[in-house]
Amino acid sequence: MNSIQRRLTLTLGALCCLLWCAGSVAAYLGVRAELVSAFDLALKTDAQALTNMAEESENQFKFDSTGELMPEFDREERPDYFQVWLPDGSTLQRSPALALEGGNLPLKAGTLEAPRFWNLTLPDGLHGRAIGIHFNPKVDEDTPSIPGVPRPRGPLVLVTAFHRGDLDAQLHHLGALLLLVGATMAAATVLVVTIVVRRGLQPLATLAERAGKIDASSLQLRFPLDHAPAELLPIGQRLNDLLARLEASFSRERRFSADVAHELRTPIAELRALSEVALRWPDDGVATQSALKDALNIALQMESIASGLLALVRCEGNLFTARPEMVFIAALFEEVFQPFAAKAQAKQLAVTVDLPKEAGWFADLPALRSILTNLVSNAIEHSPAAGSVRVRIEQNGADERLLISNTTNNLTAEDLPHLFERFWRKDAARTDHVHCGLGLALAHTYAQSLGLKLCAELTNDNEVTFTLSGAPTCRSTKQVEQSPNDCPNTHSAEPGRRE
Amino acid sequence: MRLLFIEDSARLQASVGRGLRRAGYAVDVIGDGEEGLWLAESNQYDVIILDLMLPRLDGLSVLRGLRAKHNETHVLILTAKDTVENRVSGLQAGADDYLIKPFAFEELLARVQALCRRSYQRKNPRIMIGDLQIDTAARLVARKGRKIELTPREFMLVEFLALRRGQVVSRTEIEAHIYADSADLMSNTVDSAICLLRKKITPPGGVSLIHTRRGMGYVMESESA
Repeated sequence: MNSIQRRLTLTLGALCCLLWCAGSVAAYLGVRAELVSAFDLALKTDAQALTNMAEESENQFKFDSTGELMPEFDREERPDYFQVWLPDGSTLQRSPALALEGGNLPLKAGTLEAPRFWNLTLPDGLHGRAIGIHFNPKVDEDTPSIPGVPRPRGPLVLVTAFHRGDLDAQLHHLGALLLLVGATMAAATVLVVTIVVRRGLQPLATLAERAGKIDASSLQLRFPLDHAPAELLPIGQRLNDLLARLEASFSRERRFSADVAHELRTPIAELRALSEVALRWPDDGVATQSALKDALNIALQMESIASGLLALVRCEGNLFTARPEMVFIAALFEEVFQPFAAKAQAKQLAVTVDLPKEAGWFADLPALRSILTNLVSNAIEHSPAAGSVRVRIEQNGADERLLISNTTNNLTAEDLPHLFERFWRKDAARTDHVHCGLGLALAHTYAQSLGLKLCAELTNDNEVTFTLSGAPTCRSTKQVEQSPNDCPNTHSAEPGRRE
Repeated sequence: MRLLFIEDSARLQASVGRGLRRAGYAVDVIGDGEEGLWLAESNQYDVIILDLMLPRLDGLSVLRGLRAKHNETHVLILTAKDTVENRVSGLQAGADDYLIKPFAFEELLARVQALCRRSYQRKNPRIMIGDLQIDTAARLVARKGRKIELTPREFMLVEFLALRRGQVVSRTEIEAHIYADSADLMSNTVDSAICLLRKKITPPGGVSLIHTRRGMGYVMESESA
């Protein structure tokens, strides 16, 4: 499984172990260099002391005995060794132990300033370290040279070697210590890294746990952000926003389901009740006749609901294909308003229409007709008696907006977001049988399908205004007649004529 | 039996109201919650049939208002709201029964009858007063095995008296429960109805089961006091 915690723990743990190893190795190498350097210094000091024992006297080289001055060469156990060579390569002097064993040290040398050091196996078979130098012995002033006898020339070579057993033991102990400490610290580091990573990722685990508790029935839950780390804050905020939208959406769907149930159940209950009562008591002719009339009206009502729902499904399912054509708004409005004129008059509504004759939109005619019909129906039906209905077009630069306003005495700002929801009605009791709350939802869905924008706002004190905008326009009939090809799908007949 | 039907659908008011009256009930019909609550508090009903989605005051608020004032009238909720939560809310608010729309009219009738029996602490739909048998479910009356034909109003009257057997029922109570929807009630309507009912249910030479308590009302029992 892809785990951030495991990846972090392994990576950090490996890196820390690597660092510990590197540190330990560096420490070991450093200390070793120091120790070897000190050993070499001791070697060099002894070698220099030995060079002082060699002198040139009476036209030959002589070497004093080390004896009491340097007892380390006379030890029986692990003695040090030295050997001095003449310029011709013959041995001038050996250390007592070397002389006893009859061996030779390797002839290698550097200068006094830059001696040569190397590791070797000593004549007694143990590990050792040697130094080799070229040097010129001092001249014995007390014993002058013999005239006529040539003076010896050339530097002598001195090689001295010490046992390095103690040095090796020290290095071994150091190595073991560093290994032990390194391993222990690496293990402790891995443990600490594991704990720290787990603690560091705890907010993420908490977030995941909280998310796991959220389902369709608990969308009201939110992620607590008060103590969230800065890195998780944007994620938490986004998730909370998403949950709020989901909750609202589910709530709308639940409301829709309940509304659909009510809108369908009530007419069915009415149909069933009046049918059963009429069948049980068929002797009452007048009541039976009334029941049949009611049955017909219920059927028409349900047909209207079914049609509305089907139209909504078609629009929302992208099954609707718009066929834009030139539509003159004024003429279309006149056609749409005609069936409502009598009702508007009966309610004594003041209807004012300000639509330029030449105002034309490119839109699907049947869909635009449906939008206007629903908006006009809504305005006429829901205006209180003696209210007003205003219809006009407003210019906004290159855009035109169609506005339909009507008086309202019960709509509030809180209602506006719900106006276009399916089956939403201001009357929670849903007493009205004529309207089921699909008209504005249908108008809105059609508008979206046509690429138009339909919105509602409360304007003035007691007026609601629906604004339809976004359609391509053709401003004047004259423009259309002169260059019909400028306006796609321009209808050649009079405005408002349909095929 | 007197019923109050609180429902905002005009069609249901008409069809169900008509059906209940034809079944022998006196029915008051009202279309909004506020008026319904006022009627329920002002009158004695045997059963209230209550819709939930009402204008002005919703059904649950009407029910809670009634129970808060210790009104014990049986209430049957008749609604399209069918979720478990809705049903639990309704019953916990004090309803005695819950029927979902759409419904069978026969079922509504049967549930109303059951609630009416409960109003008088009776579980058995059959009532025996001496040798008079009254089947409140089948709406039949028989004495000594002989079926007696009664009009719906007469059946309501005998049922009302039988459910309160041994208790004196006043004229006013009879008017309120049986003749509530009668616009042309006369002062001797109840007396005439009782007289006619006595004749129908008393066989020749038989014992009358409906007794007059002068100045108080009528009582139905198998023996005179």
